[in-house]
Amino acid sequence: MSSLITLPAVLDLRAAEPLKAQILAVRGQEALLDVSAVERLGGLCLQVLLSAIATWRADGQALTFINVSEAFASQWSAFGASAADLAPQGQLA
Amino acid sequence: MSDDPFEAIKVTFFQECSELLGDLETNLLALETGEGDIETINAVFRAVHSVKGGAGAFGLEDLVRFAHVFETLMDELRSGRKECDDVTVKTLLRASDVLADHIAAAQGTGAPVDAARSAGLVAELEVLTHGQATPAVAAAPVVADEDDFGFKPLTLDLADFGAPAELPSLDLPALDLPSLDLPDLAAPSAAALTAGWRIVFRPHPRLYASANDVSLLLRELTRLGQTSVELDASGLPSLEALDAEDAHLIWTIVLTGDVTEAAVRDVFDFVEMDCDLSITALDGGSPSAETALPPLPVLDAAPAEPAFDLAALLAQAKAPVEAAPVAAPAPVAAAPKPVAPAAPAPAAPSPVASAPAAAPSAPAAVAPVTIRVDLDRVDRLINVVGELVIQQAMLAQRVMESGLARSSDIALGLEDLELLTRDIQDSVMAIRAQPVKSVFQRMPRLVREVAEMTGKRVRLVTSGEDTEVDKTVVERLAEPITHMLRNAIDHGLESPEEREAAGKPAEGTVRLAALHRSGRIVIEIADDGKGINRPRVRGIAVDRGLIAEDAVLTDDEVDNLIFLPGFSTAETITDVSGRGVGMDVVRRSIQALGGRISISSNPGKGSTFTLSLPLTLAVLDGMVVSAAGQTLVAPLSAIVESLTPRIEDVHYVGGHDAVIRFREEFVPMVDVGRVMGFRDDATTLTGGVVMIVETEAGSRAALLVDAINGQRQVVIKSLETHYRQVDGVSAATILGDGSVALILDIDALVIAGHRKSNRPELKMAS
Repeated sequence: MSSLITLPAVLDLRAAEPLKAQILAVRGQEALLDVSAVERLGGLCLQVLLSAIATWRADGQALTFINVSEAFASQWSAFGASAADLAPQGQLA
Repeated sequence: MSDDPFEAIKVTFFQECSELLGDLETNLLALETGEGDIETINAVFRAVHSVKGGAGAFGLEDLVRFAHVFETLMDELRSGRKECDDVTVKTLLRASDVLADHIAAAQGTGAPVDAARSAGLVAELEVLTHGQATPAVAAAPVVADEDDFGFKPLTLDLADFGAPAELPSLDLPALDLPSLDLPDLAAPSAAALTAGWRIVFRPHPRLYASANDVSLLLRELTRLGQTSVELDASGLPSLEALDAEDAHLIWTIVLTGDVTEAAVRDVFDFVEMDCDLSITALDGGSPSAETALPPLPVLDAAPAEPAFDLAALLAQAKAPVEAAPVAAPAPVAAAPKPVAPAAPAPAAPSPVASAPAAAPSAPAAVAPVTIRVDLDRVDRLINVVGELVIQQAMLAQRVMESGLARSSDIALGLEDLELLTRDIQDSVMAIRAQPVKSVFQRMPRLVREVAEMTGKRVRLVTSGEDTEVDKTVVERLAEPITHMLRNAIDHGLESPEEREAAGKPAEGTVRLAALHRSGRIVIEIADDGKGINRPRVRGIAVDRGLIAEDAVLTDDEVDNLIFLPGFSTAETITDVSGRGVGMDVVRRSIQALGGRISISSNPGKGSTFTLSLPLTLAVLDGMVVSAAGQTLVAPLSAIVESLTPRIEDVHYVGGHDAVIRFREEFVPMVDVGRVMGFRDDATTLTGGVVMIVETEAGSRAALLVDAINGQRQVVIKSLETHYRQVDGVSAATILGDGSVALILDIDALVIAGHRKSNRPELKMAS
């Protein structure tokens, strides 16, 4: 089964801890992160997302970003983060 | 203060903005008068840059855009590419006004910014910067559009968490610099340019905690030139082990283009204490030099110990760069490179972070170390110290009542305690004391604007800006001073033509001065205009029924009629001074602070408003006296001398108004018990004591009381807050025996005394 997590519009300092908890709550499952609403991505939430990607990868599970807007993708790559991580991967349930 | 950390930081930002605006104004005015130098220009640049940086962090785009244009011109000035002439300074002054508007609008305290005015100034600034209204695109092709980040996305290889000991060495594709071709596009003098900068940046958790973000810094860098960003996430623990507010990422940015090291450092201006930062020049000819980076030290996967020895890494990385043959030495290469001693424990402040301090060339003034403290905390402290003073007084009284000898150890110890208490109180009060500069600094702008609106030429001369007074008083001074300055220019000064016709210089002068006088702060606003038209003022007062037609008034009394409610002398209501409701409101707000306002005028020569306020609203040195069975406190600052009146020195004017001879002068006597309404009958002089007091206006009076009980420092408790305003009383206090005593308002008391004696002025000619 897969779990859908919708990310809030502003992923700043305050959003980091809740985001981590939200994603961690579905550990062991395939995760779908809906980033359509995200307007602002900050460094701390980027850390959470990168760590989640690596953690899921280590678990052999799929973690997939869905509804990736241009704005999100450009902020993501502005950080120097790999665009490949945004591409669909694993198997969608 | 808000619980929301973001809002709290924003509040701090706006506080800083107001300080920065003050600095800006001061420095621009120094430039205007020719007192400025390169450090002044640098200071202006820094102020604008700081506003811009903070505004960027809060996404205040309008403010950022305006500040950017402003800053660009300042950069031209400080680099010497543009001369700082009179026209430029005048434009900068107006730009600082608009910058203040943008800040006020962003803060929500001001009206929306006048877009046309702002755009007009942007155009003016750009003309000064580039010689034409539109930014010279050809000259700066690498400046990315604000919405186009221009980043080159790079592949990130995340480390496997299972193998902390085997970290991938840094993959550096960024060094295959496509942007090294840039000189072809950009300036022809490629040889003089640096190839760019390699910036290694590792934020600390503090950086995020103070509402900064890497995204903003990266974005700022893209404004400088072409960037390629590489992210090292190898220190990132697994999600479970991750502390979401800790910082684990390291960025390496290669910035290419004609950018000075100072410009790069400026981007990190706000965060340099909150990150590890290394900025090294790229050598266009030998990109391979950079590939000699040693492998990263082994990272510990545990989040508690992100052992990252950036300093050591940099030290090693730098060596090959320096060893490489340098074909075209960049001008900035001479700048001191950050020294990189071995980093101590990761928790300790990084030595790399402090290194940039060595880079700026101009020696900046050493600023005193300060901390920001919530005002509530200071006030709580002041309250508690106030209670301590009261308690100490009560204890002293008990000890005295117990009959202990004055020389006993307890009594002596108590005296020491009193001195100590006093020291504590003075120190605590000093925390709240602030120079009036913060208010005075706002006035040049006001004067410029009012002068423009009224078509008058005005020079503002300020003095005593460093005079300190309680914060509350400072804050409440702004409005009355603003109003009186407007009034002075609008009503006081004549038009340039009128002035010339009267044989005065076309430019009028308004003086704004602050000084300490007899334990109070006095603010004077003086103009060299036409002075008050007394017959007209009098006529209006009669017309409005404010005074009787046959009232006999001194010149001063006529002048002070303008403070009566609803009095307006402006025949046409102007935008500037409003509807004439102001002066009585000004007087009321000053009175509410325990202050007084008066005006003196010299026809044809000008008028002077004098505002007098207590320095603090918390403590007072007072003389405790008794009158008609009541304990009262007279402010010590007003008392000149105390004496026992001799019957032969007292004379009566008109049979009932007593005056006393004091040092060859006759001084009117005020029977305190009677004037205050404690008793109806007149005191007999025998057995009473007289205190000679001096009023604000400098006149003297003799206050007659029953006895003087001693001198004491008292804690002021507002009567208005707990009861209501009482004529002749400025506040109340609690004495050592726990009783409440009223603090006398000397001036009001003397005036009331005159009124009771039904004589407006008592000047004895023996």
